Amino acid sequence: MTYSLREISKAFGGLRVLDRFSLDIPVGKVTVVLGPSGCGKTTLLNLLSGLLPADAGERSGFEGARFSCVFQEPRLIPSLSALRNVELVLRSSLAPEERRERALRLLSAVGLQEARNQKPGQLSGGMRQRVALARAFAYPADLLLLDEPFQSVDLKTRIGLMDAFLELQSEEPRTVVFVTHEVKEALYLGDAVVVLSDKPARILDRMPLTLSREHRKYSSSDLSEMEATLYRLILGEPQAEPNPRG
Amino acid sequence: MRPSMPKPRTRFSSGTLRAATAAALGALVLLGLWALAAQLVDSEIVLPSPLRVARSVRDLFPTSQFLAALQATFLRGLAAFGISMAAGIAVGLACGLSGTFASALAPALTVVRATPVLAVILLALIWFPSGIVPVFAAVLMAFPIVVADVRQGVRTTDPKLLEMARLFRLRKRDRLQNIYAPAVAPHLVSASHSALGLCWKVVVAGEVLSQPARALGTGMNRARIQLETAEVFAWTFAGLLLCTLTDVAFKLCRRRHDGDVQPS
Repeated sequence: MTYSLREISKAFGGLRVLDRFSLDIPVGKVTVVLGPSGCGKTTLLNLLSGLLPADAGERSGFEGARFSCVFQEPRLIPSLSALRNVELVLRSSLAPEERRERALRLLSAVGLQEARNQKPGQLSGGMRQRVALARAFAYPADLLLLDEPFQSVDLKTRIGLMDAFLELQSEEPRTVVFVTHEVKEALYLGDAVVVLSDKPARILDRMPLTLSREHRKYSSSDLSEMEATLYRLILGEPQAEPNPRG
Repeated sequence: MRPSMPKPRTRFSSGTLRAATAAALGALVLLGLWALAAQLVDSEIVLPSPLRVARSVRDLFPTSQFLAALQATFLRGLAAFGISMAAGIAVGLACGLSGTFASALAPALTVVRATPVLAVILLALIWFPSGIVPVFAAVLMAFPIVVADVRQGVRTTDPKLLEMARLFRLRKRDRLQNIYAPAVAPHLVSASHSALGLCWKVVVAGEVLSQPARALGTGMNRARIQLETAEVFAWTFAGLLLCTLTDVAFKLCRRRHDGDVQPS
């Protein structure tokens, strides 16, 4: 089963962001959408989740689907503790005891058991984003959308957050669409990378990533060729050698 | 360089003391000017001296008639304030959440806001019993203020949090309690402060015209008819006291609340 967008178009005023754009999202996989800033990645997520209506085209497989999201900023409710922020999204689906148990489990999975009673204002940026990650996984969503969620934190925190994401994803595999403009993030997290052009966005390439996670560390040399290929695609330079797919 | 030690927190800062001293001096100057004017006018009917008014206050305040009037006016003010707040919050929320509802209500609110308070009181005299008139007039004056402030609060709610709520399908009650309420709260505090002050003024004005059996306004008007100007001042002083005391109580509650809520 796949979730699909077919011939989707979206414009804001006279600005065409997507023009007859099609995308397949395989279930249970992490599809990374990689593209330059402002190419329409967030618009794509909003169209996927139904927050924005498309001007034309078709969405299939999304009927009744529930979405969760980790946004660019944590979007936590300032007056609630970390625990209650996670519990809040479970109110309509779980009984109070189950809610508490699930929220606590996910907070400890992202390393925040100790900070569970602290409010967002008392947490660091990285910790707030961990709460947002726990909330997104806690919610019983069919699709998990990640909108450049690691951009506002330092490198060490970013790697920590990405590892937390991978751990949660291995425990409870979700269908994930992850948009980013960071090549290293795309290679580190994705099962497949879809490379977008500038506006109106079109798919330049779709690259499956089958390299094991152990070989995808930031310091890994195994990724360098793929990285170079992706950079060339983004920068619009001619391909030097065949695409090292698979 | 030695790190500077944090200053111990005192209950009253030097700024507060300076402001209190300046206010006391201002009040003394005002009293002095009043006494001087009373001496120049030299007529107790036109302008009684502060001392004469003080004697009138001393004679009036312990009487059962005054205490009953004070209680009745206090209850009317409180009722008007409560009704304005409850109705204003409900309608303000509805206006903030629905642009169509806000547009539909706009003409009515404009008419209410533009109508002079005396016109409202005169009409209310035709429609309601004398005890209800001041409450009705005060509600009609305070209600649009609360509606406007609550609506403004709803409109300043963080759109990103609302988008998050939509995506996670948060229940309406949870959205109201956790997203809208914190955004509306500061606006509501300012609305309730303005509404409270307005309610006392309009209630007393309404009482002067509607003449309920027990009311500060009734006492004030009776003293005026009897040319007891010092007593008019005494009744006015009672109204002023009511307004000031509730204002101080309000500010204390607010300060306590602000102290409880640590910035996050």
